[in-house]
Amino acid sequence: MVKEPSQEHIKIPIAMSRPYRWATGRYLGKLYKEARDNKKLVTNRCPKCKELLWPPRPVCGRCKVEAGEDWVEMSDKGTVIQYTYLVYPLWDPHVGDRVAEDYPNATILLDGGVYLVHKLEEKDPEKLKAGMRVQAVWKEEERGQGLNDILYFGTIEQ
Amino acid sequence: MANRVAIVGVGQTYHKSKRPDVSQPEMVNEAVRAALADAQLSMKDIESVFVGNMETFEGIYLPDHGLADEAGLFMKPGFKVATGGSSGGSAVVEGSNFVASGLFRTALVIGFEKQDAGDTTGAISAATTPVWGKGMARGALGEFAKQASTYMKQSGATEEHAAMVRLKADRGACRNPYAHLRLGLESVEEILKSGYLMWPLRLLDFCPQSSGACAVILAAEEEARKITNKPVWIADHITVHQEPFRAGTFGDPTGLETYSEDVAATKLYKRNGISNPRKDIDMAETYEPSNWQEMMLYEYYHFCEKNEGWKLIEKGITEIEGEFPVNPSGGVIATNPIGATPVIRVAECALQIRGDAGEHQVTRDVKTAVATALGGPNWTVMVLLRRFL
Amino acid sequence: MAEKLEELESFVIPGKIDIPNTYFAGLAGSRFLIELRDNRRIMGIKCPACNWVYVPPRSTCKVCFSKLEDWVEVSDKGTLLTCAIAYQPSPVQPVEPPIAYGIVHLDGADSGFVHLLGEVDFNHLRIGMRVQAVFKEERAGSILDIKYFKPLD
Repeated sequence: MVKEPSQEHIKIPIAMSRPYRWATGRYLGKLYKEARDNKKLVTNRCPKCKELLWPPRPVCGRCKVEAGEDWVEMSDKGTVIQYTYLVYPLWDPHVGDRVAEDYPNATILLDGGVYLVHKLEEKDPEKLKAGMRVQAVWKEEERGQGLNDILYFGTIEQ
Repeated sequence: MANRVAIVGVGQTYHKSKRPDVSQPEMVNEAVRAALADAQLSMKDIESVFVGNMETFEGIYLPDHGLADEAGLFMKPGFKVATGGSSGGSAVVEGSNFVASGLFRTALVIGFEKQDAGDTTGAISAATTPVWGKGMARGALGEFAKQASTYMKQSGATEEHAAMVRLKADRGACRNPYAHLRLGLESVEEILKSGYLMWPLRLLDFCPQSSGACAVILAAEEEARKITNKPVWIADHITVHQEPFRAGTFGDPTGLETYSEDVAATKLYKRNGISNPRKDIDMAETYEPSNWQEMMLYEYYHFCEKNEGWKLIEKGITEIEGEFPVNPSGGVIATNPIGATPVIRVAECALQIRGDAGEHQVTRDVKTAVATALGGPNWTVMVLLRRFL
Repeated sequence: MAEKLEELESFVIPGKIDIPNTYFAGLAGSRFLIELRDNRRIMGIKCPACNWVYVPPRSTCKVCFSKLEDWVEVSDKGTLLTCAIAYQPSPVQPVEPPIAYGIVHLDGADSGFVHLLGEVDFNHLRIGMRVQAVFKEERAGSILDIKYFKPLD
């Protein structure tokens, strides 16, 4: 005789970390190389609209033309446009755990005219404000991770 | 369009935080059966099936395969649509295109997400490749938090205005039996007491992680008129994408660039003779993941001038009884099973046009409504619905 | 900065995507797994309109879209429909390779049932051979509560 249906609900945890190998391609690779070898930020410029393409890429999406090799070196100084800070830890899939990162996350407008999302060295919420001037603090060793070669952006005087 | 397309049935599940009692296919099946019952059709009448879902969220690659039987896909044409948060909206567009082509008389469009199955922030953060954005992405929360901080500075909106939007959403949700968060919030002060999640977003400011599904049935004009005497016409739809990497994962959160919403609204309104949106359209269901976003979306969709979104909420214009109701169902802030959410927007607009929204039916007579979807990185889908063509 | 494109290098960055997920077996799935765990029984579900027994069970018939509620017990013995043997290791395998997978047509069921084959020399596997489920002593409500199917003498 078949028993009455049970109210128990079975759940199956799936814990599978998937390894990947991502290729940057040659255009983004140029940024990686300059960051690693010279602690510099570079990007390419569209031959038609003359906009800086960021991150560097093979095609200008607006003009639909090949972006070419007009490389421009950019200052690593900029202005904070907007920022936020974490109050409690969130899951980071590239780490495989909850991360309680204490550095604030900000959108920075580099002096060259492109926007960048990165961390701020200043952790005190009272001292954070939109419009503050910041500059990249580079890793001294073991570079080769592109924008992650910059530890964070530190505050500089106006 | 070659064929005119109408919505002839809608159905959704009671959206909850967790549904341990059902598998994904069983949950989708509930919404499908509800839509078939609403249209008084059987699965035999459905000629194509589209499923909108963000698959990283449940950890299942190719979710439509596992769903095939329960979604009615067995031996029928159709496919999964995944465009981030706008997946459901894109699925409605696909279904509508299939029917408009004249090759199919009906389409079943399903959006679903079973968010109890995974970690939402983790999944969204996986949208950034580690070659650009590793360790920087804090999911949607980070991007929307930054947008909110800029909006406060630029427009003069205050945290009180954000709280007022939250109250409006809760009032609508409490009148909508399918909504997820029905909190009975009473005052702005109560909301301002809740803690920050990621400054300046508070716990209450952001949408929940819901598990649910929503289905709509589309039919070509000849079929639609036979099936129901209250067809809701899909008068037009538009999809605009924006380049994602200009300033982070979600397009340009600074507000200094043209948003895909702005471009979509301009084109859609122009080709439909809409010159005064709050007058020519009767209500809207928008995809606003946070209360701050709702105020900004009022501006991007041209419901008001730039930097004046907060005025609409201050004056009560977007309430259920107001002159231009927005999100009377409680919106996304109250219910967000991501893949289902844009389909819920379309379904809710359809219910309002039919006069079948029950307790959250708006006071203004709804002849024209607009449903929107937002996909990171900044994809916009807008669907224009009308009672008469 | 006029480097030729051919001279530019592409970097290859190793990484991972690691997000925790949970799968809910649902109404039909839970009942099936609980019967394996508690009663060492393989349950199927029948569609009366199509006269078809699904194992493992599900809640909707894919052919006629009826709601399925008629549970039936099927035998733990069946006939091997097909099989394949995996030799390469991979992180998602349930046991160490080499692994023999089989699709078994259980007596009383209409659909095929995928599982492992054991206690058999892989060279002696034949389509059409009779097999029987071997249950584990410690069961957890998982498809692997059946250890494998072994040949019936």
